[in-house]
Amino acid sequence: MAAALFLVFAYLVSRGAGTREHRPLFVLEAFAALLTWLVAVQPTFVKELSSSEPGQVIALVDTSRSMQVARGSTPRVEIAARAVEGLPDEVTVFSFGDEVAAVPDDEPLSATAERSDLGRALEEVALTEDLGAVVVISDGALTDLPIDPRVRVHAFAVDPDGELMDDSVVEVAADAMVFQRQVAKARVTVRSLGRGAQVIPVTLSREGEVVSETVVTLNEEGVGSVNLEFVERQLGRAVYHVSIPTPDGDAVPKNNSRAFLVDVVRDRLRVLLVAGHPTWDVRFLRELIKKDGSIDLISFFILRTNADLSMANPDELALIPFPTDELFREHLGSFDVIVFQDFDFGPYQMEGYLPRIRDYVRRGGSFAMIGGERSFSVGGYAETPIAEVLPVTLPPTTAGTRSLDLSRFSPVMQDEVARHPIVGLAAAPDESAALFRGLPELIGSNRFRGVKAGASVLLSRPRGGAPILVVGESGQGRVLAFASDGSWRWGVTAGGQSGDASVHERFWDRVLRWLARDPRLEPARLSTDRASYGASAIMRVRGVLRDASYVPRDGSVALSIVALDAAEVEGEAEAESAQVVRVISGEIEAELTAPEVAGAYRVVAREVGNEGAVLAEEAFVVETSGRELADPVARPDVLRELAERSGGSFHDANNPPALSQLDTQRVRHDGVQRIAPMAHPLTIVATILLLGAVFWLRRRRGLR
Amino acid sequence: MSLVGASAYALGEDTRVEIVGVDLGADEPRETARRRLAWEVRKRTSIETRLAPRRARLDDQTIFETPFLYLAGDEAFEPRSEAEVRGLRRFIEFGGFLLIDDASPHEDGFDLSVRRLLRRAFPTDPLAPVPPDHTVFHSFYLLRRPAGRVRGPEHLFGITRGGRLAVAYSRHDLGGALARDNLGTYRFEVTPDGERQREVAARLGVNIVMYALCLDYKDDQVHAPFIMRRRPGRVR
Repeated sequence: MAAALFLVFAYLVSRGAGTREHRPLFVLEAFAALLTWLVAVQPTFVKELSSSEPGQVIALVDTSRSMQVARGSTPRVEIAARAVEGLPDEVTVFSFGDEVAAVPDDEPLSATAERSDLGRALEEVALTEDLGAVVVISDGALTDLPIDPRVRVHAFAVDPDGELMDDSVVEVAADAMVFQRQVAKARVTVRSLGRGAQVIPVTLSREGEVVSETVVTLNEEGVGSVNLEFVERQLGRAVYHVSIPTPDGDAVPKNNSRAFLVDVVRDRLRVLLVAGHPTWDVRFLRELIKKDGSIDLISFFILRTNADLSMANPDELALIPFPTDELFREHLGSFDVIVFQDFDFGPYQMEGYLPRIRDYVRRGGSFAMIGGERSFSVGGYAETPIAEVLPVTLPPTTAGTRSLDLSRFSPVMQDEVARHPIVGLAAAPDESAALFRGLPELIGSNRFRGVKAGASVLLSRPRGGAPILVVGESGQGRVLAFASDGSWRWGVTAGGQSGDASVHERFWDRVLRWLARDPRLEPARLSTDRASYGASAIMRVRGVLRDASYVPRDGSVALSIVALDAAEVEGEAEAESAQVVRVISGEIEAELTAPEVAGAYRVVAREVGNEGAVLAEEAFVVETSGRELADPVARPDVLRELAERSGGSFHDANNPPALSQLDTQRVRHDGVQRIAPMAHPLTIVATILLLGAVFWLRRRRGLR
Repeated sequence: MSLVGASAYALGEDTRVEIVGVDLGADEPRETARRRLAWEVRKRTSIETRLAPRRARLDDQTIFETPFLYLAGDEAFEPRSEAEVRGLRRFIEFGGFLLIDDASPHEDGFDLSVRRLLRRAFPTDPLAPVPPDHTVFHSFYLLRRPAGRVRGPEHLFGITRGGRLAVAYSRHDLGGALARDNLGTYRFEVTPDGERQREVAARLGVNIVMYALCLDYKDDQVHAPFIMRRRPGRVR
């Protein structure tokens, strides 16, 4: 640009210079001006300096379960181990699978990871200083590929041919939750490598018993799917296995069978509501339960007693006999929750059914009694089998009306139960307490003699503290006693007064779900990051642990793994393998190692001390196959493409090159070089001299 | 169902079912009708009713203390205030039940006023005939059609909200069939079928109260087979 300016300037000067003999002078003047300008602006040239040198080398070894597959008679992981041994000591070796971890020198490589996440592994090691190259030793059967390697990759393929003869159950797609006594389906995908189209038998079994058999037709690519149906009759968790035959020469027999776990639940919560007579409390409780599509309600109301004169023939009445035998003998066990609402059993020849109801509760059913003039003592329940399971003790039936308190009151909630889901209806405990204080008063209540040990008083009268709402457990079941028949006023009456009629619905929704042990309302629960693991895989366990009052626990708990069908956890054996975990604000987080033997297990959280009471547990499955082995075919093409894309090279891990043959150069930046030619003192002196010469020549020629 | 005596206890008079009269500023045309209906319900069913029911204006908060209102009249009434209309709307929205009884079904005055009130309170929910197979006709007694002091139309009218009959409107002078004087004598003749029709009216009143407390309970699967077996030729 400077040269261009100079030429333009010189041309202009020469045009205006007049006589021909002055033109050299003016050219000289133009040059002097240009030089002066360059000295003034001081142009600088910048040059980056770099050099290359050998960088650090890191090796990443695939330890996913597909590396268990043998090439010939040698498992891929052993080929990888030999390749690692051939690397010089200066190479740092990491394994990658579920995570990236250093490989200890003194431990053999084991391929147990459920994933082979190379993308994440490369991202992690790319942060290493002075990194020159990464050697990836793998079969190429990767879960996740790097999008941009950002580092030179030399791939050592443990199975560069990628040929395999293997039949496998690739996938079993079944709902994690199935409904009891309803047909459930599992969609099974089978693949045969190296044998093409064929028909393969598929078997579904449960605890060793064949449940269903069918065949799957594979297409030309050796892939096919089929649906298997099963009906689960028992509630709880069940483990199923899908299997196909193992042909001769099958590379991975383990992947010919896969397990899956289902949680068997009722399709809907089943509630039996028995009311002694129609009241507003009955009407509004039934109405809200009927509205809830997740609840199957069977209700029976006593509409007429022998004291009533209906003035009609039976055929003119829409009344039916009280089906006591059907409800309390035939179908008793099918209910999740039984509610007696202001119902007296005496007039209906029900004495014989009360022991059945008691036993139903102790076996795990739930029972609630709602107050009124026909409930608790006035309903004749004192000293009956029902009284044995209630969370309160009752005055004798002879107390009559003395077991009723007819005064109005606003129930109060104690601070220690403010987190209980039934009464903790607001976000904060003090807001829940205020919510109950602001509700319309209840009218009258039943009196209790006392509260049983272990039961919790959730609501009580403000004066004297008479319990109004008490919850507890009896055997395996949950029980609730509510001494009022006026909770409907938390709907209609509250709505009319404040515009918010929702408390009634929220309260009873919580009551029913707590009684039915809705997992969301349990004080303690565990969860695992997956339902199914490979042998010795890492399990991530999380838990919420609160006491019976829903106050978050502190301290420590012991986590251990036992077989799912173990009736009782063996204390000593378990204690040896238990991992003590710190509980922080009622929450835990831990890593456990899955058992080596395939099967169904549960992870159990126990109190440390206090005889190790079980706080929570969760079931899971250990598979000998799993996702990694479902698709074990080696993919050397994937490794080759990765190496080429990153500027690296591709090799057979059985015959690895020496490290010196690999490009491990890294580019080192040596900084920048700056050159400013017009800053040199000689340049400045020359400019001054040139300006002086121009001045002298102009004077000499008589120019100004 | 067994017929054995129930306990006579109660958690107080305030917990009983009360048929609250709507106070429109004038005397009720059949002043003993609500008490008689409460008595019939208590005598014939297991429902505990309050035998001295109160009256309340629609803008009175006490209407939310018991969710059954009875609005009777025999002549046109002035348009209600906005607060009363709002009170009625909220009462129904929060679950209340309104029984309207036209004591002068051969005249239009009360009917027009009622329809005007309901249009203001429930502009999107028009009055419609209640079909004869509605639960209200088999909530306790098996009934074929409504009746009162007069035979009246073949059906009740009603407003359905959220799947339930929230407003029932009778143009049969139901209260006229039930009202008695201080000596216990019925105050009005029932036409055209006399005492048989009066009994049907009493049964309709019981069914309406029973429906308000049980809603579609009688439509539950457990009851359907029994009711279907009894229906042909048996209904009064």
